[in-house]
Amino acid sequence: MRRLFHALAIGLLGAGIAHIVILLLVPSFSERDAWSRLAMVAGPNKVVRLDKEIGGTPVVKALDPSFYEAACRFDLNEGVVRIDNAGKVPYWSASVYDRSGQNIYSFNDRTATDGNLDFVVLTPAQMIDLRKELPTEFEKSIFVETPIDEGIVVVRVFVPDDSWKPTVSRFLDGINCDIQ
Amino acid sequence: MAGYSSANSILRRLMLKQSILIVLALAVAVGGGAASVGMVLNSQEGIGAVSVGPWTAFPDIGTPEADPYSKARVARDGVLALGRAEGLSFVADRDSAGVTLKSECSYRIEGSLPVARFWTLYATDRAHIALKSGIRRDATLHSLEVLRQPDNSISVSVGTRPEPGNWLAVGGVGAMNLVLTFYDTPIASSTGLSGIEMPRIVRVQCNA
Repeated sequence: MRRLFHALAIGLLGAGIAHIVILLLVPSFSERDAWSRLAMVAGPNKVVRLDKEIGGTPVVKALDPSFYEAACRFDLNEGVVRIDNAGKVPYWSASVYDRSGQNIYSFNDRTATDGNLDFVVLTPAQMIDLRKELPTEFEKSIFVETPIDEGIVVVRVFVPDDSWKPTVSRFLDGINCDIQ
Repeated sequence: MAGYSSANSILRRLMLKQSILIVLALAVAVGGGAASVGMVLNSQEGIGAVSVGPWTAFPDIGTPEADPYSKARVARDGVLALGRAEGLSFVADRDSAGVTLKSECSYRIEGSLPVARFWTLYATDRAHIALKSGIRRDATLHSLEVLRQPDNSISVSVGTRPEPGNWLAVGGVGAMNLVLTFYDTPIASSTGLSGIEMPRIVRVQCNA
């Protein structure tokens, strides 16, 4: 009987250790994180609409139904990524996420020049290279320096009512997410 | 010879008992560890949560400063959390009296709200999928279409039956969450959250 209690006590101690180990391993081994879900539906640098359901299940969970969203995955080893689009919508916001879905950087239309969606994601090393001779097309862009290689960009646009749906859809479908 | 074989059988029995105990300890460790992680991740409360009345927010979720529980939750659910410059989401799974929210009941959300450029309100099921209203009306409400009280506070009816004034149409049966999201708001920064006011959720009636 005493040995049974001994075994149970060791088991509970082990449960505590297993709790911590599993908790810390979930982010690196999850196959259901946002990156994996996006990789299932589209390749890198392809803009995916998150508000459309693909195969009956939403690509990303817990999204606001008053918003339309678009996302694209990028890999900075291949060059700097520019996300831009001309057009006016009531409100947009953009976020850069790293490979594990952590929000690295976010901003909205009030932060941007003239309220236009135009930003460049790049590593600090690429930033130094680009500063030497800034191309004229980047003059009004926001530069997002990140220490990451792979990541996700998400643009969210508010849809106040049904009449805005075509405008917002056109805005999101016109977004470029290309390597420069 | 006889003494040797009986010693051998005692030894074997001891080893069997020992291995059963080891298996038991391992099962408790692995099973208990996995179950406890799952339980904590499924609960709405947790480390890093900020509660104001019935509303709970995770201001650090999805940021590099987040605690391990928030990080695991983000990875498991495939969430792309709102950034600090975007906004902050509050979720309620109980009313102000502490009773679980149900989509077959009707509620009244009343009180004043923190400062934001605009806010949206919608209902979800427990799996965080937005509820459909079941009619042509959108199952969502936002600050640009809402009617305000003379003192700038709001009063919103939530339920399946149409109500005068502000009405958030919900459908279905079962437990629900209410999600109130503030966009472009100073409360998304960690210092902005102290001393904010959130509206009450009061149950009006339940249709059995």
